[in-house]
Amino acid sequence: MERQDQRIGLLSAVPMGAVLLISFLAPLMVIAIFSVMPQKVFSLLHLPDFSSYKLLFTQGYIKSVLWSFGMAMASTAILFVICWPLAFGMAKVFKGFGLFITIAVVITLFVSENIRLFGWVLTLMKGGLIEGHLRAWTGLTFEGALYNVPVIVFGLVYAYFPFMLFPLIQGIAMVPDDARQAAADLGASRRQIFFEVDLPLSAPGIVIGSLLSFVLAAGAMAESKLLGGQTVIVIADEIETAFTYGQNWPLGSALSVVLILIIGALSIFGINRVNLDLIMGGRRS
Amino acid sequence: MKMSKSARIALSLYGVLAILFLYLPIISVGFASVSKARYLTFPIKRYATKWYGKAVESSTVQDLLWTSLSVALLVTIISMVVGFFGALAFARYQWLFRGIFQKLILLPIFFPQAVLGLALLMWFNALGIIPTWKTAVVAHLVWISPIATLIIAIRAYSFDPSLEEAARDMGASTWIVMKEITGPLLWPGVVAAGLFAFLLSWGNFPLSLFTTGADSTLPEWLYAKMVSGYSPLVPSVGILSIVTSIVLLLAGGIIMWLVRSHNGTASPR
Amino acid sequence: MSPEPILRLEGVSKHFGEFTALDNINLEIDEGEFLTIVGPSGSGKTTLIRILVGIEELSEGKIWLRNNRIEEMPANQRPTCMVFQSLALFPHKSVGENIEFPLKLRKQKPDQRKSRALELLDLLHLPQSFYDKRINECSGGERQRVALARALAFDPEILFFDEPLSALDFRLRKNLEKELKDLHQRTGKTFVYITHSLEEAMVMSDRIAIMRSGRFEQIAIADEIYARPVSRFVAEFMGEVNLFSVSGDAGGNPVGTEIEIQVRNTSLGSSMKLSKGASATLMVRPETVHFLTGDETADFVVGGVLKAEYALGSRTQYKVEADNGDELAVEKLREDRFLGQVGDRVRLGWNAEHAHMISGG
Repeated sequence: MERQDQRIGLLSAVPMGAVLLISFLAPLMVIAIFSVMPQKVFSLLHLPDFSSYKLLFTQGYIKSVLWSFGMAMASTAILFVICWPLAFGMAKVFKGFGLFITIAVVITLFVSENIRLFGWVLTLMKGGLIEGHLRAWTGLTFEGALYNVPVIVFGLVYAYFPFMLFPLIQGIAMVPDDARQAAADLGASRRQIFFEVDLPLSAPGIVIGSLLSFVLAAGAMAESKLLGGQTVIVIADEIETAFTYGQNWPLGSALSVVLILIIGALSIFGINRVNLDLIMGGRRS
Repeated sequence: MKMSKSARIALSLYGVLAILFLYLPIISVGFASVSKARYLTFPIKRYATKWYGKAVESSTVQDLLWTSLSVALLVTIISMVVGFFGALAFARYQWLFRGIFQKLILLPIFFPQAVLGLALLMWFNALGIIPTWKTAVVAHLVWISPIATLIIAIRAYSFDPSLEEAARDMGASTWIVMKEITGPLLWPGVVAAGLFAFLLSWGNFPLSLFTTGADSTLPEWLYAKMVSGYSPLVPSVGILSIVTSIVLLLAGGIIMWLVRSHNGTASPR
Repeated sequence: MSPEPILRLEGVSKHFGEFTALDNINLEIDEGEFLTIVGPSGSGKTTLIRILVGIEELSEGKIWLRNNRIEEMPANQRPTCMVFQSLALFPHKSVGENIEFPLKLRKQKPDQRKSRALELLDLLHLPQSFYDKRINECSGGERQRVALARALAFDPEILFFDEPLSALDFRLRKNLEKELKDLHQRTGKTFVYITHSLEEAMVMSDRIAIMRSGRFEQIAIADEIYARPVSRFVAEFMGEVNLFSVSGDAGGNPVGTEIEIQVRNTSLGSSMKLSKGASATLMVRPETVHFLTGDETADFVVGGVLKAEYALGSRTQYKVEADNGDELAVEKLREDRFLGQVGDRVRLGWNAEHAHMISGG
């Protein structure tokens, strides 16, 4: 059977492997090559000169990178705090209600992200759902809540809520009830149980959830554009601008390479730390 | 651990709050879509459904629907096939590069989609392919077929490998084992993955943004309108797109339920 | 007298990397016999049966089924069939469809298949109404029978079993063991069964093969294994046993090296003799050891203190601590139980015909 397993396993991986090769690894190679081309060329048939990378450090792109990662970090921390109680409830306490929440959250995933963010614009703008009704009912008014850094972080928290929630649920579900009970029985306080039992045993879920929300938030663009206006320019926005208005593909590529390297390194680090067979199949192998 | 009743209630309230948080913007869009005024302000004074009428009549919107539908259908079919085999390689068979394969599949999911879209655009350019909605299918597949694989893999993990061994032992060829045992057992996962694939493709915008060329999908068009200023058509088209998703989800749910009750409820552990 | 073997293994080995799961196995299985392979987990028995069925490949060696070499033949071409530990019943097929599966693969007509499936339900004492049941509607014992029916529908040359009864509760298991033995007699097929329970093996089998670390320790009929094990390992595998390290003295008599044993030299037969200096293990089962009273004596006598008494239902077991601190076990039928008190000084004795000498330390 082992020989059989080897053969069928390899064959089964071929379609997926082909998709990844043609539409993931190959484009990344192209970006990498483009990033070393001279400025503003549109083909790969030039001598490499690395000028884009020099540009990166002189043009203040570092600031965009810092904004992106700073906001991603903030939103990940907030997400962890607000998702933990709910994830705990869904993994250990709720029964039918948990399924209901799951379905409700999954449905939002199928609604285009920009429609939902647009909905927040309608909700938070001056004359929007909140300010409009407040003014109509109490006469009080305020300048809307849009176009600042906190609202961008808010948008990130909103958009990546499910990406933190579901891995956390999966992680907490892996904490055996009797381990918590035993800890309580041995005299551990709620706080101690959290730090000594829940946190270490649900680590794979926490790693995946935090990694997903951080990485996706770091590469996000729609939140800062729709909710943040021009308050800050995030790295993904810079990349898009370089490709479109700037017509500078090598610069855009170099920016992409930087983003990809950071995100890729983090992802590979995180993915390597969890046992996928265990978290997906509940099976140690 | 026994939880006190008040803690339980507080937790449930928190859950309700979370759902409100997730749905509030969608509710806003819903209200906006039935406002009669051309320039929206809350509270809404007069309600009308005329923007829906306009949206449905608009040939632009019809084209968008058609493009989105074509992309989503193609992505669904390919993802189901790729995901079925991918899940077997992911979860079922012990083969040499399984560990690397598992990790490689996850990478696209972790990637910023807009950047991936741009990378694809340059790759198509390097190959001399002019982007159309068909290239968008390729772009969607990078992200959606790994997700389909994971969904089917969960199902593949839950089935006992000795079922396949027993079938072989009784004389079944590799093909018969696939047809009689593996296929039927993974089928519910494949249907679920197909549903996810369709809905994710239908709602996706960052991957489509740079890869559709002159064609445009529904979310892309909505984004363009949002960035360039308010259009009263945006909320109604948005709501139409959401309703389509929900109808499909319900239909999918019913199909899943039928499949499951036909197959017996026990998971084959 | 001995019939042509149906299955013959020659030098079968299996390596997983550095680890040797099977080490140069030789075995002949006779047509129509019920052979049970017993061993603790990790002894290689599961690997062996999977190789015999064709699910796993061997690293070295040859296997003959009658006169055909089959070690290169994949599982789906071998005329043998296995009942899996998990039973491997197809959850998406009905009981009838499960039983008919091998017949369907042979492209038999549906009505023919159905009548065979119903026959098999009868043979396994399942009502015909089970034909349309779903697998998840069957109890554990019923599933066993369905799995058996499916294997019999295949009509294998040899039927293999990978501890299919291990998940059942005690009483159901005992019943099914007897039924399996009965089924073996009625079908006349060759059964090869693996289990970690020697008790299970004793109930059912014609011959038992004891496995340890990828080798056969002993292959013999049940009684032989019980009374005359070839090694300490086999002796200890079958329940409670008393083992004494002994070595031969100048007269060829065994002398205890750890516990002092008094030996009545005159009556010892040649099987109890040891050449001078040779070491061996003397084995005696607890039920053949007696408490000696007064000036009663026996071929072998050991002194000690009664430490504990356990009621086992029809029997009573005693723990006796010998003078060096080692524990000895004695078992008596309830009606013959020893009337002493815990703490009493006792003398234990047994005769040569109940003792067995295992050569080597």
